[in-house]
Amino acid sequence: MARIETQAVEFDALLKTRGVTRRRFLEFCGAVTVSLGLSEALAPKVAEAIEENVIGKAKGKLAPVLWLELASCTGCTESFAQVETPDVATVVLELISLNYAETLSAGAGYSLELAKKQTMEEAAGEYIVIIEGALMEGWEGNALRIANEKAVDIIREVSANAKAIVCAGSCAVDGGWQAAVPNPGGATGIEPFLKREKAAGRFTYEVDPTVDIPPIINVPTCPSNPEHLVAVLVDVLLVGKLPELDSHNKPTLMFGEYIHDNCPRRGHFENGEFVRQFGSEEERKGYCLYALGCKGPQTKNNCPIVRWNRRVSWCVEAGAPCIGCASADPTKAGFNWVDLNTPFFNRVKNLKIGDIILQPATLAAGIGGIAAIALIAHGFGMKATGRTKGGADFESERKWDAKHPDKAIATAPAAQAAKSTQEAEAAEEADEQTEGGDQ
Amino acid sequence: MAHLAHYRQAHPLPFVITHWINLICILVLIFTGFYIHFPYFSGFMGVARGLHLGLGYLLVINCAVRIILSLFIKSAPTAGSREVDRDIKSFLPQKDNRHQFGAWIKYYLFIKKEHPLGAKYGVPQKLAYAAIPFLILLVAFTGLCLYAPTSVVGPFAAFNGLVGGVMVTRIIHYCIMWVFIIFIALHAYLATIEGLAPAKMMFGWKEHGGLVYSPETHTIIGEDDLDGKDH
Ligand code: SF4
Ligand code: SF4
Repeated sequence: MARIETQAVEFDALLKTRGVTRRRFLEFCGAVTVSLGLSEALAPKVAEAIEENVIGKAKGKLAPVLWLELASCTGCTESFAQVETPDVATVVLELISLNYAETLSAGAGYSLELAKKQTMEEAAGEYIVIIEGALMEGWEGNALRIANEKAVDIIREVSANAKAIVCAGSCAVDGGWQAAVPNPGGATGIEPFLKREKAAGRFTYEVDPTVDIPPIINVPTCPSNPEHLVAVLVDVLLVGKLPELDSHNKPTLMFGEYIHDNCPRRGHFENGEFVRQFGSEEERKGYCLYALGCKGPQTKNNCPIVRWNRRVSWCVEAGAPCIGCASADPTKAGFNWVDLNTPFFNRVKNLKIGDIILQPATLAAGIGGIAAIALIAHGFGMKATGRTKGGADFESERKWDAKHPDKAIATAPAAQAAKSTQEAEAAEEADEQTEGGDQ
Repeated sequence: MAHLAHYRQAHPLPFVITHWINLICILVLIFTGFYIHFPYFSGFMGVARGLHLGLGYLLVINCAVRIILSLFIKSAPTAGSREVDRDIKSFLPQKDNRHQFGAWIKYYLFIKKEHPLGAKYGVPQKLAYAAIPFLILLVAFTGLCLYAPTSVVGPFAAFNGLVGGVMVTRIIHYCIMWVFIIFIALHAYLATIEGLAPAKMMFGWKEHGGLVYSPETHTIIGEDDLDGKDH
């Protein structure tokens, strides 16, 4: 008991140095609990676990973490660390020993590279790698060099002995913006890269050679949501296991449900109340953003529940259609969430046929139009050949029968009815229309 | 007269009804589908989705019923005849159709002047009709891939994963709709361009006199003006 109390006092002091009140910390734990898909009633348990580990671990060995930044805008680092305004999320940084992070580390240059090398050697099989940004394979890997080394080589090396890899943000998952058409630098996600390398015999996972690649946790969105990252770290470091992952290696609890199904504007969707223009009366009324291209109906994420910016709001609530930033898919070659969802303000993505980029609706209407014109032209032909009044006269014999009398289909000669009645018919008025080939 | 007689035996009443159901389902599905694709006007989404789902199921059930009935109900395998056989035979290769595919294409392209002889359905027509159940299955399957509660279920989720996500499935679903639209345009055109008798039979079950064809000898054998009632 006494131990826990000292621990709490110690921890509160730590929070204070970070400018965080205990209340904010507990709120934060609530959000982590929600991100983990647990009942909020379990928040105190999470708080206790964090307290214990932060204080306990600070005295012992911290989990070594390498944060690698590849081709990125540093948005994920910003999102996670929020160094300008100390956030409770940074407390979780106390759980880890962040040995390498280009943006966050105090050191730089050789000493930082050395720290990375040492971690990889001394903590082989123990360290966790967080990767932000896309890997660039273009120009023999020279499209991205870090500390005079090709990024592809760094990733291969660092992955071989990693305990797990967390791909933070959609770029690290499927290449993201950098991989969008035309992708001259050969941007790719980490999981697809490692799988390709493994298949080509250029990669072995030293920690466990029976598996192809290290355990990967994909945490997409652009940028990665700090609540998600913290929840994943809490899961891996405190609970000591990987969270439950779906077929894209995304945590099921975060990326298991469509945004549309938890959206506060859903009622307007069902009522058919849509914003059709920004700045309109409908927008002011908070109507559904479907007609503006909202990708909520096809994007799985828990944004409406976990929200953004310390749970202040999120895209759709703030009035912006979801652009589907969580739909990164590491399983398909050449797949890219930006290409999948652009134009962001259209309902469906563009189709790419060679160099031509167009909307499926345009293509379909074009083909439909050609079909309509062909039918109309054919109709004139039918009229000109006099077939619109009951069709042409029947052939008296199949052509094939004429050529192959021994194997003929018809087993009796055709009656003369067809021919003889034609003259009679000419006299009749032909207003009643009849049989053709189609019924 | 150059056309074959239209007897009710060609299209027994149950099939006239299933044809009506198909027509209504498909037209409403296309309309509501367009609306769900993009809400061109306001206030209809809930109804559109309800109708789309309900009539989608009805279309599949109707298709299944139509296929099962075709195994039991007898219909005339050729136009211009009151003789009947199991209806399914009209959708399978028939002797009357043999070697006539080229003839039909040439006839449609105005290369061949005379109307090809054949069974109730000409060769290209039969191929198109036989493809419809598969098209309905495919469109229903992709539809269930998009419907949230079923989209997470095994095969539907697997399909979404295979093609690259719900967005791509949505485009496939949309393109199949256009295949239906083009089919309907072609079907309506071919069924009416040579006269309205086929439509009157299919929608109003109204008979019409004309030439008589024998399914036994595979030739035209005479003429029947329905005792003069048809003119
Ligand atoms: S705003 Fe987007 S996610 Fe929300 S109900 Fe409308 S379409 Fe769905
Ligand atoms: S609402 Fe959509 S665009 Fe916004 S963060 Fe969530 S998944 Fe990304």
